[in-house]
Amino acid sequence: MPSRKHVHAMLHTGAHYTSLILFALFTTFPFIWALSSGLSGDASHMYLFPDGFWPHEATLDWFARVFREMPFTTYLKNSTILAFFTIAGVVAVSVLAGYPLARMKFPGRGLVFVAIIATMMLPSEVGIVPNFITLKHFGDAAAALQGTLGLGPDWNLREWIGLNSYFGAIVPNVAGAFGIFLMKQAFEQIPQDLIDAARVDGANEMQILWKVMVPVTGPSIAALAIFTLVSAWNDYLWPSLVMNSKEKMPLAVGVFNDLTGPFATSDNILMAAIVLTVIPVLVFFAFTQRYFISGMDGAVK
Amino acid sequence: MASVSLRNIRKNYTRDVTVIRDVSLDIDDGEFIVFVGPSGCGKSTMLRMIAGLEDITGGELYIGETLANDIHASKRGIAMVFQSYALYPHMSCAENMGFALKLAGTPKAEIDSRVQRAAEILEITHLLERKPKALSGGQRQRVAIGRAIVRNPKVFLFDEPLSNLDAALRLNMRVELSKLHQELQTTMIYVTHDQVEAMTLADRIVVFHAGLIQQVGSPLDLYENPSNLFVAGFLGSPKMNLLAGVMLECGDGLASLSLQQGMIVSARCNASHLRVHDKVTMGIRPEHIRLVSADTAGALAAQVDLIEHLGDVVLAYIEIPGIHEVLCMKLPGSAPALAYGDRIHIAFPPEHVLLFDHEGNALPRLPA
Repeated sequence: MPSRKHVHAMLHTGAHYTSLILFALFTTFPFIWALSSGLSGDASHMYLFPDGFWPHEATLDWFARVFREMPFTTYLKNSTILAFFTIAGVVAVSVLAGYPLARMKFPGRGLVFVAIIATMMLPSEVGIVPNFITLKHFGDAAAALQGTLGLGPDWNLREWIGLNSYFGAIVPNVAGAFGIFLMKQAFEQIPQDLIDAARVDGANEMQILWKVMVPVTGPSIAALAIFTLVSAWNDYLWPSLVMNSKEKMPLAVGVFNDLTGPFATSDNILMAAIVLTVIPVLVFFAFTQRYFISGMDGAVK
Repeated sequence: MASVSLRNIRKNYTRDVTVIRDVSLDIDDGEFIVFVGPSGCGKSTMLRMIAGLEDITGGELYIGETLANDIHASKRGIAMVFQSYALYPHMSCAENMGFALKLAGTPKAEIDSRVQRAAEILEITHLLERKPKALSGGQRQRVAIGRAIVRNPKVFLFDEPLSNLDAALRLNMRVELSKLHQELQTTMIYVTHDQVEAMTLADRIVVFHAGLIQQVGSPLDLYENPSNLFVAGFLGSPKMNLLAGVMLECGDGLASLSLQQGMIVSARCNASHLRVHDKVTMGIRPEHIRLVSADTAGALAAQVDLIEHLGDVVLAYIEIPGIHEVLCMKLPGSAPALAYGDRIHIAFPPEHVLLFDHEGNALPRLPA
């Protein structure tokens, strides 16, 4: 007969698993619903509970129609471009701003940091109007430059850095207080001895940053990259304002524009498109998650 | 290889916080010198100033013949080993060791041969491809030392390099560091708070306290002839026994003093500059207290408080009635068995008794 202690341990473990499974279901049920709706040939069960959570007359037709009825690959390409350059920009800015704030002594360091953190108190929507106007002026300036240089209309410099440009959709998202804060904290965790060792070894500040600090803070950079990817990939509002041609729209904007509204054909095709939109992020996470767990092992003590 | 000269070195963090006060010291070429002192005494700061990791507020630092105050750490010809090893976790051991040479633009073939040679000296050739996380503490410290060796520095700086190792490994590494110094014959400056490391490794010991050098000398000289109460109390394990008293007889021969309860102790010290009734402190090392019979001249009655058997020696903690200080006495392992509460008689041989004046400075000892 199992002892009382044994029963207690089993109950404890059971409670752990139950709560974790419930939490997993809670967080994944929108995706499960979207997946089962996307796979269902029979759309009539979609809004029934619990029937909506598994496919009826399973088929991949809705997924095939996503590719036929909207320029999915164009949107995917645009999302990839926006996400890639946003990640690169955010990581570069956060590393270059976080390092001096964490490790270099200069007058006003605290004030600069407080000013950066203070921007987190403002809703991101506050920046929409000034950023939009700035971009419009960028475009006007580019057009004027194009005229001055006598370049032909094919150049269309306005759409290089103005409205309806990748530049315009990316750059306002590059300098974020969150990334700077995250990297500052990561650099502060690195023991001073490691920096001193590099200095004695002959490294200058930039070499210390790129050859020692950046590799050592890999897990934080990976975390920052994944957060940035998710927010850039799912960003709807800003790209929907900046991008007005179908050729430059990212997935979030394209799927919403093409598959919702009064002329939308079916909710199942929308669900299939949502599943296809999410997959690249899941794949990226699967490949980067191992970087989250490696870190400072063996550096000191 | 190079000598190191410190001329009136000062370090202030703010106007009010001074951690190094006017330190002057000449370190000879090829010498193994140990900075020792309690936490916060400024020894590590001094080492970091020599390394170029801390600015020098005042004074001059010469490495060889060169004034090095404003020379970058990497250009001073020094290599440093840190307490925490400070290995780059993303590089293999070989890359860690060759990093400085790579930054200096040394050809790869030369880097490889120098890393290989250092690895052979330290017997870590089989570890070269591993990352630091796959190494034990002792192996990591060897790699850190290897990283210093490959640079062929003029001066090695060690900042408490053995403090993170367990006792057995620390002993092994201590011996290896001594051998390394014999082999390389390079100037080495070693910071520790462990007096055993200081005593066993050093050609000369520099005792720091409150940002000042208290005494410089060979380990035995410091042990036998501490210049003041701080050095007397700091060096030696167990510590020197110190008792307060007043001078009874001053002179340049045998001086005598009175402890509490009128007990009289003699010391072979030159106390000619003191006067009768001046306050003094007497000191005697645990191994110099003699167990004697009651009828011996100068015998003091005492009672055993605690006995510690260490195998080769026995430590007896004793109390002299009327003196509220526990004295430590080191006896050979073969000494007659003592037990708690035993009443014994002890004597302080005058040639081993040290006297310190009211400012804590030692009185000169006289030859026996």
